[in-house]
Amino acid sequence: MENYEKSHGWDGLVKILERSMGRRDFIVTSAAAGLLALTPRFVRGATNEPYRIGVLLPSTGAGANYSERPIKGLPLIAAEINKRGGLLGKHPIELIFRDTQTKPDVGAREARSLILNEKVKTVIGSWSSAVAMAIQEIVHEYKVLHLAATSNSSKIVNENYTPYTFMFGPNSQMQSSATVVAVSRMIKEKGWKNYVTLGLDYEWGRDAQRVFVEELAKVSPEIELKKELWAKLGETDFTSYITAIMGLKPDFVFGAIAGRDNETFLQQAKAAGFFQRVVYPGVFLPVTELMQQRKTLPRGIVGINRCPFFAHMDQPLMKKYVDLYQAQFGKEDYPDDFACMYFDSLNGLDQAVTKAGTVETEAVRKAMTGATLDTCRGKLTFRDCNNQLDCASYLGEVVDVPEYPFPIFDLKTLIVVEGRDIWLPADCEDVRKLQKKRA
Amino acid sequence: MPTDLGSLLVQLFSGLSRAMMLFLVSSGLSLIFGVMNILNFAHAALWLLGGYITFSVYTALVEHYGVSFVFLVPAVVAGTLALFAIGLAIERTLIRRMYGRELPEQLLLTFALILIIGDLIRLFWGVQNRRIILPIEPLPILGTFMNPYLFVIMVIGLVVAGFLWWFLARTRTGKIVRAAVYSRDMVSALGIRIPIIYGLVYAMGVAIAALSAGVFLPIMPIGLGLDMDLIVQCFAVVVIGGFGSIVGTFVASLLVGIVYSFSILIWPGGALAIIFIILVAVLIWRPWGLFGTEMRF
Repeated sequence: MENYEKSHGWDGLVKILERSMGRRDFIVTSAAAGLLALTPRFVRGATNEPYRIGVLLPSTGAGANYSERPIKGLPLIAAEINKRGGLLGKHPIELIFRDTQTKPDVGAREARSLILNEKVKTVIGSWSSAVAMAIQEIVHEYKVLHLAATSNSSKIVNENYTPYTFMFGPNSQMQSSATVVAVSRMIKEKGWKNYVTLGLDYEWGRDAQRVFVEELAKVSPEIELKKELWAKLGETDFTSYITAIMGLKPDFVFGAIAGRDNETFLQQAKAAGFFQRVVYPGVFLPVTELMQQRKTLPRGIVGINRCPFFAHMDQPLMKKYVDLYQAQFGKEDYPDDFACMYFDSLNGLDQAVTKAGTVETEAVRKAMTGATLDTCRGKLTFRDCNNQLDCASYLGEVVDVPEYPFPIFDLKTLIVVEGRDIWLPADCEDVRKLQKKRA
Repeated sequence: MPTDLGSLLVQLFSGLSRAMMLFLVSSGLSLIFGVMNILNFAHAALWLLGGYITFSVYTALVEHYGVSFVFLVPAVVAGTLALFAIGLAIERTLIRRMYGRELPEQLLLTFALILIIGDLIRLFWGVQNRRIILPIEPLPILGTFMNPYLFVIMVIGLVVAGFLWWFLARTRTGKIVRAAVYSRDMVSALGIRIPIIYGLVYAMGVAIAALSAGVFLPIMPIGLGLDMDLIVQCFAVVVIGGFGSIVGTFVASLLVGIVYSFSILIWPGGALAIIFIILVAVLIWRPWGLFGTEMRF
């Protein structure tokens, strides 16, 4: 019973998080899901040790908004695996959630606490790359697996590489390079001459901006970078940045803004007439933003995201994720990019353990290194020199469609840029040169 | 750097609106410290709570009577009054126990309040960002555009500044509050009930913060952690202006808002650094702030 409480105590918070459904509906569906997850524990025979996983996500700070659906959905995936007895059919998964507050020091402290006190074998998370890099130091020290489901600075897999970290989404360099592919086409078509960048002044923002500027200079050397603007993480008022950009009159703007800051920026930019004056291609628009800003998001802008469910409804695993999620949280809600990548990371761990035939960390790490996994985006392979999943970035025009109650990317013109086509360094030897020499 | 009049004017307006936003949040903080000598670290958390209450009232009104931006007014009033009551309750039950205590104890208590308020928000509203969507259309100005709602913020900032000036300079209660800044013992010796004044000041400071949170909702989504993002700048404004001086807070807000706005045009990487350079300069030159009084320091 103790195991059950540990793995499902989070249900309480999930109930608190879920505000879009009626109270009665939610209690009924939560109770049903709870029973569903509980049943296998009592029907199966004697089990071995549970497999404890620490989930480090911010429920406060700039990244809190993107954590809601992973927090709600991960227990559903764990319950699915536990239906057959857990990993290898005998190690039921226990999820232990901790709030990183989007702060590196808190993330590192919680990671250490999870490893030393809760004896977790794997850590999943976090949202902020700065937090993830702080966690990397801890997981490397204690030799614990780290599944970086959404934090995606390229430094995580290059400069700050540890063989214990695996990245399940396109990294910042891949995302910026994908934007370069789309923007360079637009530069040729529209004859653009100059641009301005606006980034969040922290690890991911700096990294994404740097890669974009460098890569764009290679394919469009004639384009001039007029100004680099940096806003602090957690900026509450982007007005001065917006008016400054409009005053500079660039042909286009590249933005490296995410989380609540992205929502704030888009809200303030629209009201200030920003989109009437400036082209803003490659804005980060995960499914979270498409759903939350369904009424206000300017249609026709070109956005980028990492794991949109609507582009992969033909994949059995994606369909399963959506069905599982909607069965619990209603037909109006969909798993966002972040939820899908977290689901993939948990399922990926399950596949690696099966391949290794043991839950022993070193064996699982070796099994996952270079492995090809079944994911909601199809079969994807880890790059064996840095544990980066060979996954795509998705660029598209925001349009309304009858199938969904919110805008999606236009599937007819969707640009899917595969990871292996753009990741840098292209040669694994060069990747290894970048990687930190660790003890 | 753009040199056309339209762009410069819009940049100035954006600086002014930022200034008024800072003033609206910081004035209560300054008032509370100036009068009560309490460093209310939880000020921004209460600001956030006011925003959530305003959001809920607005949402409830829209659900019952249909979408109308007019509902923002009763929602903001409700949020302000709710936080006035909450502020009064907090002062009567918790803050009053801190009078005369050391600063670290005050910080511990008000930091605990941040955590409690944060968890209460998580409990009642979840972790999703909340905002009020108004059909705001950009306003054309001299060949460029501006968010017209910024004028609403500027006007409300000026009205609140005017009200505070009138209250402190023209009313008997205000004069007592000002007297308490200089010598609470003397005010008490005159037979004036200081605890009532303190309760009123704390509640008023918090209510002004709640008012501003409600007013910002149509242009700023609120979410957990936003309070911590805001409080640092508020402290900078209050220190520059001088704790306890509303005029100082107003002038410092203008200084910070406008300097920040134009720094983005001239030296974008150092916009925030310039603000803190000003803060350091003030701390060296006039540790009691531009308009603060040396005797309180």
